[in-house]
Amino acid sequence: MSVAGISSSAKPQASRLVAILVLAAIVALVAATPFLPNYHIRVVNSLLIYILLGIGLNIVIGYTGLLDLGFVAFYAVGAYTYALLASPQLDLHLPFLLIVGIAAVLGMITGILLGIPVLKLRGDYLAIVTLGFGEIIRIVINNVDWLTGGPKGIARLDKASILGVEIARPVEIYWLLLVTVFLVGLFVWRLERSILGKAWAAIREDQDAARGIGINTTNAKLAAFATSATIGAIAGTIFAASQRFVSPESFTLQESVLIVLMIVIGGIGNILGIVAGAAILILLPELLREFAEWRILFLGILMVVLIIVRPAGIVPRTFGPEKLIRGLFGK
Amino acid sequence: MTLVFKNLRKQYGANVAINDVSTDFAPGLIYGVIGPNGAGKSTLINMTAGSYTVSDGSISLDGHRLDGMKKHQIANSGIARTYQNIRLFDQMTVLENLEVCAYPAEVYNTWREVLWPPYGRERAAARRESAMEILRFFGLEGYGDAEAGSLPYGRQRMLEIARALAMKPRVLLLDEPAAGLNHHETAELTAKLAELRSPERIMLVVEHDMDLVMTLCDRIVVMHHGKLLFQGTPAEVQASSDVQLAYLGTDNDIDDIRAAAQDRRAQLGIRARRRS
Amino acid sequence: MLGTFIQQTVNALTIGSIYALIALGYTMVYGVLRMINFAHGEMFMLGAYAAFLVLTVFVGDIGAVGAFGLTLAFFGAVIAVGFFGVGIERLAYKPLRNSTRLAPMLSSLGVSLTLVTGVQILAGPQPVAFPSFFPTTRYDLMGGTVTSVQIGILVAAFVLMFALYTLVNRSRMGIIVRAVSESRPTAQLLGINVNLAISAVFFSGPLLGAAGGILYASYYGIMSPTMGAVIGLKAFTAAILGGIGSIPGAMLGAYILAFVEVGGTALLPLITNGVLGTEYRDVLSFAILILVLLVKPAGILGEPVSEESMVYKREF
Repeated sequence: MSVAGISSSAKPQASRLVAILVLAAIVALVAATPFLPNYHIRVVNSLLIYILLGIGLNIVIGYTGLLDLGFVAFYAVGAYTYALLASPQLDLHLPFLLIVGIAAVLGMITGILLGIPVLKLRGDYLAIVTLGFGEIIRIVINNVDWLTGGPKGIARLDKASILGVEIARPVEIYWLLLVTVFLVGLFVWRLERSILGKAWAAIREDQDAARGIGINTTNAKLAAFATSATIGAIAGTIFAASQRFVSPESFTLQESVLIVLMIVIGGIGNILGIVAGAAILILLPELLREFAEWRILFLGILMVVLIIVRPAGIVPRTFGPEKLIRGLFGK
Repeated sequence: MTLVFKNLRKQYGANVAINDVSTDFAPGLIYGVIGPNGAGKSTLINMTAGSYTVSDGSISLDGHRLDGMKKHQIANSGIARTYQNIRLFDQMTVLENLEVCAYPAEVYNTWREVLWPPYGRERAAARRESAMEILRFFGLEGYGDAEAGSLPYGRQRMLEIARALAMKPRVLLLDEPAAGLNHHETAELTAKLAELRSPERIMLVVEHDMDLVMTLCDRIVVMHHGKLLFQGTPAEVQASSDVQLAYLGTDNDIDDIRAAAQDRRAQLGIRARRRS
Repeated sequence: MLGTFIQQTVNALTIGSIYALIALGYTMVYGVLRMINFAHGEMFMLGAYAAFLVLTVFVGDIGAVGAFGLTLAFFGAVIAVGFFGVGIERLAYKPLRNSTRLAPMLSSLGVSLTLVTGVQILAGPQPVAFPSFFPTTRYDLMGGTVTSVQIGILVAAFVLMFALYTLVNRSRMGIIVRAVSESRPTAQLLGINVNLAISAVFFSGPLLGAAGGILYASYYGIMSPTMGAVIGLKAFTAAILGGIGSIPGAMLGAYILAFVEVGGTALLPLITNGVLGTEYRDVLSFAILILVLLVKPAGILGEPVSEESMVYKREF
């Protein structure tokens, strides 16, 4: 596919220039953020959380080609795990890293439990079932007052700390998120290039032919679902630790749609695309703050227009991290 | 090692697509499956590969039953196929189309591959090399990094066979490999397929191109109305009056057709008169 | 006891009729385009708002609206929404007709988001009181209470569904639509105007959905910009339950779902000893949806789709 000027047809110097520019922009932003006022750091933090969520969901949507509209459920699992295990709610105060581990396992289990029955379904049915599942989780959270505090949520969560270092101020959360995004991004990127990642792509392209070459598609899809759910849950714990408050408000269907939108806008199946998509969807509304209610309207229209005009997203699938590295170091 | 069909039957509602077919295929030989449209040739391939369920009877390879297995299990028992309408992984590169065939053997090392870069690099290089080897055989090495869907039609056909070969199959099922190819490409394909003949491999080719079948195949299976009509060497098939009947019909058939046409004309004539 | 039973039956029939009106839209769109229209629930919402708009702007004082004004508002609103549906199809789905299967679905998600926010901006995010379209009188039916609103809803829904059924089965346009939903490529080859059929579907679906919205709003006396989401999902459940693509299936599924829901909501607190209350009604519907998809994805009246006939080519 020949998409955008930065695809394979471009001259090496040009792609090198683009690579350097993209990388320089990222480095500059990363380095400059800690010196911004707290408010702005918080915006960057929320951007990073969405990038994390996008990376997770992209495994299912972008790599494996399954439309999951209930991703926010796993995010909620992670957030409520932290809220319950590190707050006065149950009077439990477990250490942050332990909770991240527990949340990751819980997320994975939820992903597999949901995945086993639904992954046999066709794409459009899968979308609707996952959507229903996301709503069920939210309704349950809303109504199990004794555990989750119902619509009021859970407040006064513990400050996170890692090895005795407290992580509570926006800057500290920022570093935590940055490291997490980097590690998770690296992991997922390597996963995509592994044999499992190639099988995901095969399933996305033609599920039946993928079976025909010996891929157990149910297992491979389950692996995608579980990995994605795990990342969603991890994002949820960090979100809860940074807000130190959770309520069902944060886990609505709109949130799921927003993450899907981010992936679609940025470029399906590409980590760099997710960064671009998240930047547009999170930063743009911040810039349009005065027009608070108009921004979602704008997002809706943008979604329709982009799907029609640019179904592959802003950043082409081929312009991945590999291209960036290759651009930098020649070859 | 043999592939055995025993009383094989496939039925859709009242329509019987395959009716009591029993035969077996020996390694080292290339079998051609021919017959008029709708004779059930592709159905045979689809049932063997697990794309269609078997209504009755059995398919076994080396005494192991294949029918009833899941499609990916059948593939992993050594059966590879191509499709009548090319089904490549369009947006993956040509190399990736072949590399992904290593999945059943290597998926359990995914963790190691992801977390230990040197191992990952080693595996990636090994997969790439064995894929390149097959590509070179088919003269596709120049396309390695191109998207499979962007290849010219003829190259896509070749690539599909290459992908099947990357599974290191014991049984290779080819569903009309020459469909849509021009004369030159068909000749090239015939030569390549002949080279694939190996003592460890059973090859089954469903094809309409009689030149290809007659030059390539060692044995020919003729299907007609879902039944196995005749089986033998190309020379035997060409000499068989049964086969000629199936393809050309008898003199009586011609008369039948003529009578039916007359009848139809009469009906239309009546209708036309009523209208006017 | 009998009173309660009759009461609940009438409630289920009422809500089932509304589900049926919306479910028909899902099923028809799916029939011709094999697409789940996520924006369809919004047509339901738009119907209520459009009727309200006609009443307040064109007819004037709501308190003193006569039968003529109400009829005008009802038909004005549903026809307007019908045309709106056609317009949306042209703008947001038609360019994607030869695209991957999931592209129009994503596009409809965007449309849904746009419409909800658009109405929120124009009419405010709060729920608005909606005037009843029928004079409220209560009748006693063997111990249960039946309101004139419920009767009106039943009658209106039956008339609309009967009209649709007749159109689809008897009219030329109905034959065209059925041909297209049987096989779009074949219909196209036979020279059938596929665009016309799709437009017809995108006119009648939203029209019925809008009618459902008006009836629903006058039943509960309230409307809100987000009212389409949950109802839409339930109507979709009904369409799946009955067999998506099948028109009688959608109606059947809607009534079954309504009965299960009303019955379940009444019984849930009893069975679980109060642990699961009526707030789990929506969970019940989703659970049914998931169960149906897992156990019998073809639904009750749908044609079973065997794996053999299904081509899994990339969906996006």
